[in-house]
Amino acid sequence: MTSKTTASLMAIGVACMIGALTGTALAQSADTPPAQAGAGAAAAVSGDGGQQQQPAAEAPAGQEAGGKQALPNGQDITPDHMENGRWYTAEDIPTFKIAEDGTVDWATFSGYRRYSAECHVCHGPDGEGSTYAPALKNSVLNLGYYDFLEIAASGKQEVNTAANLVMPAFGTNKNVWCYIDDIYAYLLARGVGELPRGRPAKREDKSEEFVAQEDSCMSG
Amino acid sequence: MKTLMNGACLALLMSGTAVLANDSVLAEIAKPQQWAIQMGDYANTRYSTLDQINKDNVKDLRVAWTFSTGVLRGHEGSPLVIGDVMYVHTPFPNKVFALDLNDNGKILWRYEPQQDPNVIAVMCCDTVYRGLSYADGMILLGQADTTVVALDAKTGEAKWSTKIGDPAIGETLTATVVPVKDKVLVGVSGGEYGVRGRMTALNLADGSEAWKAWSTGPDEELLVDPETTTHLGKPIGADSSLSSWEGDQWKIGGGTIWGWFSYDPDLNLVYYGTGNPSTWNPSQRPGDNKWSMTIMARDADTGMAKWFYQMTPHDEWDYDGVNEMILTNQTIDGQERKLLTHFDRNGLAYTLDRETGELLVAEKYDPVVNWTTGVDMDPNSETYGRPAVVAEYSTAQNGEDENTTGVCPAALGTKDQQPAAFSPKTNLFYVPTNHVCMDYEPFRVAYTAGQPYVGATLSMYPAPNSHGGMGNFIAWDNTTGEIKWSIPEQFSVWSGALATAGDVVFYGTLEGYLKAVDAQTGEELYKFKTPSGIIGNVMTYEHGGKQYIGILSGVGGWAGIGLAAGLTNPNDGLGAVGGYASLSQYTELGGQLTVFELPG
Repeated sequence: MTSKTTASLMAIGVACMIGALTGTALAQSADTPPAQAGAGAAAAVSGDGGQQQQPAAEAPAGQEAGGKQALPNGQDITPDHMENGRWYTAEDIPTFKIAEDGTVDWATFSGYRRYSAECHVCHGPDGEGSTYAPALKNSVLNLGYYDFLEIAASGKQEVNTAANLVMPAFGTNKNVWCYIDDIYAYLLARGVGELPRGRPAKREDKSEEFVAQEDSCMSG
Repeated sequence: MKTLMNGACLALLMSGTAVLANDSVLAEIAKPQQWAIQMGDYANTRYSTLDQINKDNVKDLRVAWTFSTGVLRGHEGSPLVIGDVMYVHTPFPNKVFALDLNDNGKILWRYEPQQDPNVIAVMCCDTVYRGLSYADGMILLGQADTTVVALDAKTGEAKWSTKIGDPAIGETLTATVVPVKDKVLVGVSGGEYGVRGRMTALNLADGSEAWKAWSTGPDEELLVDPETTTHLGKPIGADSSLSSWEGDQWKIGGGTIWGWFSYDPDLNLVYYGTGNPSTWNPSQRPGDNKWSMTIMARDADTGMAKWFYQMTPHDEWDYDGVNEMILTNQTIDGQERKLLTHFDRNGLAYTLDRETGELLVAEKYDPVVNWTTGVDMDPNSETYGRPAVVAEYSTAQNGEDENTTGVCPAALGTKDQQPAAFSPKTNLFYVPTNHVCMDYEPFRVAYTAGQPYVGATLSMYPAPNSHGGMGNFIAWDNTTGEIKWSIPEQFSVWSGALATAGDVVFYGTLEGYLKAVDAQTGEELYKFKTPSGIIGNVMTYEHGGKQYIGILSGVGGWAGIGLAAGLTNPNDGLGAVGGYASLSQYTELGGQLTVFELPG
């Protein structure tokens, strides 16, 4: 994703936050696919999928002819090109790249760090979920990248007699938004089972392109 | 302490003078049949003189009745019992139920506040609430959105309501409020959002603000006197907080107050601890970051500070100092003294003289604690009272973007808010603890109002080279600083303990067990598995001549975040990843009160 796109998504985030502040009901719970956040949250403690049957979560990424990797829902996750020190698919969706010796690309490692600082206090360690927030490593397998961005930017609410679930809007939080593609790539790697729990043991170094984009985003 | 208060109340009653506003709390606490305040008494001992249930018959305990709260998030705190009525609270939306103990727990009234659910999004660690309090015929409710409401205890009608903070900048309320004399003390949560901590005292009569004592900032806002407020016996001096921060960082510096508060009526002092400095990245906030991580003793009427003791200057591990201060009168080194005992998140148990703030004992209450070699106890030393930090485990010395590994305890502390109990019969403290270590990697963060302001990546795992479990329940001697016995637990013990004159100690576990153990030996005497994991505190009361034990189940809180999926130890290699038991294999969400009795 180019920095231009990032900027426009920040704008979406701001717009959504204004919507939320003026009391406009956000439509994401109705529009988003059924198997994401809300459903995961209802599964509650079963953060690791231990009690609940979640075949999609455990399924490894499919290998298509020509070495292409895809999620069970058909989404291509094959790294195709690099931009700003991050890997993207042919359709410009962020993805991870893990070498045969387990070395992860810097952006995915960055995603691990940012996830653990910003998301972990609700969604639990390693994308595994908590007693009340869904396991995001599973959510990303069913949720498209743009739906993921929308929820991260504008938040999500499910408040009724059975649940009191509220996710804040992160669209204006640079600690999250400057790294949202990293977090997505990290969760994908966790979700397809290519990255084990815990801190990635081996990683590539931060590239100059990454540093330049990070500096401009964090100071912009 | 209970005996002391009984005496004090008796004296008041006999004097026949007009009843002061504060007397209602002392009078209600003095009745052993009741549970009139979250901590059992002002001294926070969580000790009951009831002895019908004792170490010989506790094995026959059975469920008397249960009550579902209808809320499915972490249930901390405990119900209150005043007269024939039990008052039960819930996490957000912070419902209140008044149950008639004369009519099988029939609901006399219920109260549900209307709150903007956006407050949930800024509650860092679940929507917990540590319970109601009572004074002058009013039930005092602290809502998540920082509104304090006084409800008529008979009807549930709201008499006054005051909002002391702003959730839009991350300020929330999770602690119980504590009525003292004609005031009610209110803390604030939000250390992970850069909230500036303070204690707010409201007038009990109408909810108006009486005074406010900030944890950071200029002297007049701290409510200190640079000459007479002391730290380890010496005046704190002018600008004690401002000079310990760089620039304006104290304004988003944390030091929030979300634990338990105690009160000594004889000394007229209230005691509490302050939380972590914000952010978790120590390199971003050079200095001692005063007065975060501090035990505070303040005048109950004016809020003026008598003494401070900062336990963890320039915190590098998120070891909030908010845990309870337990007030006892005991003999130490052959001398009868007024003591304050505090089990800190940092893994050290402190015994101080609560009149002067003199430090008497500071020892590790879990042998795995490794970030410090101990506290300098030499009054003539330049570093008197400071913990000696081990360089290997210093996240500040190792610096930003460096992963400091193997630090014990983990950020959740050797003990979090889950309160300990003290039995004057054994002179022992009964302490629920965590046995968890961590890797900690700080990095730079930007501050955005109302957004998380954390700045560190953590991974936590059971203490290595130990019993493999994540918790212990221990008996502690505060005069010598020694563990008397220790019961290994599979999960962190996140439930407040109860000690009774029946020589039984009770606590709950994250799997959902209520356990009773022998106060002398720790031998397990009884256990029962409730419907959900326990992070609430055990309480007891007597009704119709019969003693009952009550506990809230409802897994969640910090424990529910960290342990639901199980912990992993990255240092154990790939084979062991996911090998530790996850809490999800044992329990599910719930929200239930279980009340126990003896047969017959």
